[in-house]
Parts: sequence; C-alpha cells; structure tokens
Amino acid sequence: MPLATGVGMIAVWYAICLAMSPEQRFLLPAPHEVARAFVEKGPALWNAALNTGLGALLGFGIAVALSFVMALILSLSSLVRASLYPYLMILQMTPIIVMAPILILWVGPGLKSVTIITFLICFFPMVVNTTQGLISTDRNLVDFFRMCKATKMQEVFLLRVPSALPYFFTGLRIAGTLATIGAIVGDVFAGNSAGGQGGLGFLTIIYSAQFQIGALFATAAVSCLLGFVFVAGVIALSWLALHKWHDSFSQSDV
Amino acid sequence: MTQDAQAPIVELAGVEKRYGDGPLILDKVSFAAQRGDFITLIGPSGCGKSTILKVISGLNPVSAGRIVVDGMNPSGAVEKLAFVFQEPTLLPWRTVRRNVELPMRLHGSDEAARAGIAARSLALVGLADRMDYYPRQLSGGQKMRVSIARALSVSPKILLLDEPFGALDEMTRDHLNEELLAIRQQLAWTAFFVTHSVAEAVFLSNRIIVMSANPGRVHSEVRVDLPYPRTEETRQSPGYQKLVGDVSKTLRSVERLKR
Repeated sequence: MPLATGVGMIAVWYAICLAMSPEQRFLLPAPHEVARAFVEKGPALWNAALNTGLGALLGFGIAVALSFVMALILSLSSLVRASLYPYLMILQMTPIIVMAPILILWVGPGLKSVTIITFLICFFPMVVNTTQGLISTDRNLVDFFRMCKATKMQEVFLLRVPSALPYFFTGLRIAGTLATIGAIVGDVFAGNSAGGQGGLGFLTIIYSAQFQIGALFATAAVSCLLGFVFVAGVIALSWLALHKWHDSFSQSDV
Repeated sequence: MTQDAQAPIVELAGVEKRYGDGPLILDKVSFAAQRGDFITLIGPSGCGKSTILKVISGLNPVSAGRIVVDGMNPSGAVEKLAFVFQEPTLLPWRTVRRNVELPMRLHGSDEAARAGIAARSLALVGLADRMDYYPRQLSGGQKMRVSIARALSVSPKILLLDEPFGALDEMTRDHLNEELLAIRQQLAWTAFFVTHSVAEAVFLSNRIIVMSANPGRVHSEVRVDLPYPRTEETRQSPGYQKLVGDVSKTLRSVERLKR
C-alpha cells in the first residue's frame, strides 16, 4: 500500500510539471531530472551525507550519554530539579543562529561545531524524558525495594533506570529525528567546506546559490534518507530493549 | 538468643500513628500475635489496617507506643518479614524466576542458591512451568502467585499480606485462599492479613481483629475455632457460616459507629 501511494504521488508530481508553462518549469524539476541530479552529484552527496552523518552521530551520542548522567542528577530531588531546570531551558531556548558564531570563535568551524550544535538540539528532550522516567517509578515497587533493605545504588540501577527505559526511548526517538536536522543546520551556520569536509547543509547553500533546483531536491532526499536511517536505528534499539516485557510491544496472542 | 516459646512473635502496645501533622490514623492499638497465628485485620476503609502492616514491616515508624517483632524493633527484624502488596508489584522487565530471586539478589546471596530457592518457591505456588515468562504473559491470579512466591523466597517468619486477592474474581480468590493455607501447612509462618471480605477472613484466620475508623482502633476480636486444614467443605459447614454472619454483623455495627 505505501508503494501505491508513492507511485500516485510521483504521477501527481509529473502532472503538475506538465501543467506548468515552460518559463515556470525550473521551479519544480520533474522526477527524472532529480534522479539525474542524483547520479551527477552522487559522489558529492555521498561525501556530504557521510560528513553530516558523522556530526549527527557524534552529537547524538554525546547527548545521550550526558543527558543520562544529567537525568540521574535531576532525579535526586525536586530541589535539584528546581535549581537546574531553568538553566537547562536557557540552553534549549538560545537560538542556534546565535550560538553558531560563538562556537566558531571557541572551537572553529567544522565537525566540532556541528557536533556541539547537534548535541545542543538533542540534549534537552533526552534529559526531560529520562528524568520524567526516573521519577515516575511505581511507588509500591520503591516501597518493596526499601522493605528489602535495598541500597540506594540498587534502587537506582535495578529499579529506577530499567523502569525509565520506555521514557528514555521516547526521548531517544525525538532526539533521533532532531539529530540529522541539527547536523544540517549546524553545517549551514558553522560548517567547514574546506577539503571536502562540507556536509549536506553546505551543499544546500552551494546548490541554492547556483540555482541547481534538481540538485537541491536530491540533497533534500538524501537528508530525509539519513534521518530515516537514524530513526530506524533508534526504533531497532528500543525494540531490542523493550519488546520482551513492555506493553507497547505486546502481541494480541497472549 | 533464647526466646521463650510462649513469648508473642509480634506485639503492639499503645501504637499511635499520624503522618506529619495529619489526623491520627491509629489510636492506642494493642494486640499480640503468637507463633503460627493467622490474624486478619478487617474494618471500614480508613481504619488503618494497612497502616498496621506498614508499621510492623518497619517501613513507617510509629508516632507513639511500641512494637516488638521477634524480640527486636521492626527495622531490625526486616529479614524475618515478607510483604505481599495489594498489587502483584512485579518488575515487568524481569522474568518470573528473576522476580522471585530479587529479594535474595538485594540481600546479596549467591546465584546458585537463588536459583534453587526460586524454583522451590515457584513450585509451591504451582508455577514451576512459568519460570521464564514475563509478568505481562501471566493472568492476574498467576501474577499474585508469583508475588507470594517472591515473599516466600526469603523464608520469612512473618508474612504481611495487604489485600492481596482484592482485585481477583471470586473463584480465583477461593483457590488462592486454599493454596495459601496449604503452603502454611508446610512452612510455618505467622500471618497478618488485611481484607474487606468477611468470608475470606473467616476462612483463613484463627483470629479476626475488627477495627473501627477515624481514628483506627481495635474494636473487638473474633476467634475462629474451625480446624485446619480448611477446604471447600469448610465453606459449607454451619460453623463457618455462622461465623461469617457474626463477623458481618459486628462489621455493620462498626460501620454505624462511624456515622
């Protein structure tokens, strides 16, 4: 069925192309023109996708690790949360366009800046979700652990962390979709084009300056594809971690 | 430590409890349990029956009065106690076997010993063939059985059960009542059981403590002299049915008292 929808959409696309006057036609390249741009710009797109993918993966990975630590700290008490949340919000609300020049000054343009920008975008939703998970542990289970004289460490790692996993993966899914967007935006504002280090954001700037609409479409398609790869990876991970026990993966045959 | 065999295993003397500045929940509650007693606490909601279990377990400290559990104060006797909650309170990411092993894991006993005891506990509740299932693959009654097996895994001297069968249908509840008594024939523990069901209270216990509410006080005690082992036939006996009637009447008078 999704295949049929796709074919239908391409047909509509062609229909719109044919309906347009020759002067307007450059606005919307026909599918085969995009495909040609794909082939022509293949090596450049592949290289850019690798660069962007690397920045996205690094920023995402660091965000996951640090957000986990931060969430553990935040879950300690409501006092800690009240004193730290406002500053985390500031971090989230500062627009990337403002952060970019500062980052370029501090670490220089290129992979480092792109990674940090991706990190900044992914960090907050991860922290919020994981913290919520860590403090939403079933009250009875906490009582049970206390009755068994469990240590604080046992309570955190045998109870709170596993029961926060569904929340953690919700955050991971949000961050996963944001990671490639973050890396591309980061590339636009703080990328380094020298020596083939440019990413998809850099290609976007070039192609739009050169009015290569077909190539722009191809770049957009590659960006989407990269995003899909990320999300698929996250979904696979959450399936691995949760499918055996969590209700969200329950089969109806039980 | 030599303990007088006749000394009560659990004794409450003038126990009072309030949470923070809140209203008095328990007011001068005093009673003693002998080894092997099966005591059911029954009474209108808000009479503090569950609170009594919590203070015996050492989870909540008392505001006034004294509790002695096996010659110690409750927090020192934690290893002699096991608690069965209203809900099964299983960890959904652990298999049945690993749920039953959890209290031993928390106490740091080694893996081989854990596996053996878990298998034995699960056999007692008839779930030996469900060891590698996850909780969500079990029915409500089976989950409760796992919860009981988990409590038994620490070989408790005292079992605290807080309305464990309240959420189950009547058939399952009757079955589990019989199973619980059958297990008690094999492992001698003293039980404190909270329920809203008079029939369940009479079937299980040798002593029923009826409580009144606001604040929670001991209203009266009913002795159940029906012989163990008790079975389905016990439920048909005139002695049982008379006791159910009597306790219901007492409970109704306590409810009226409340208004």
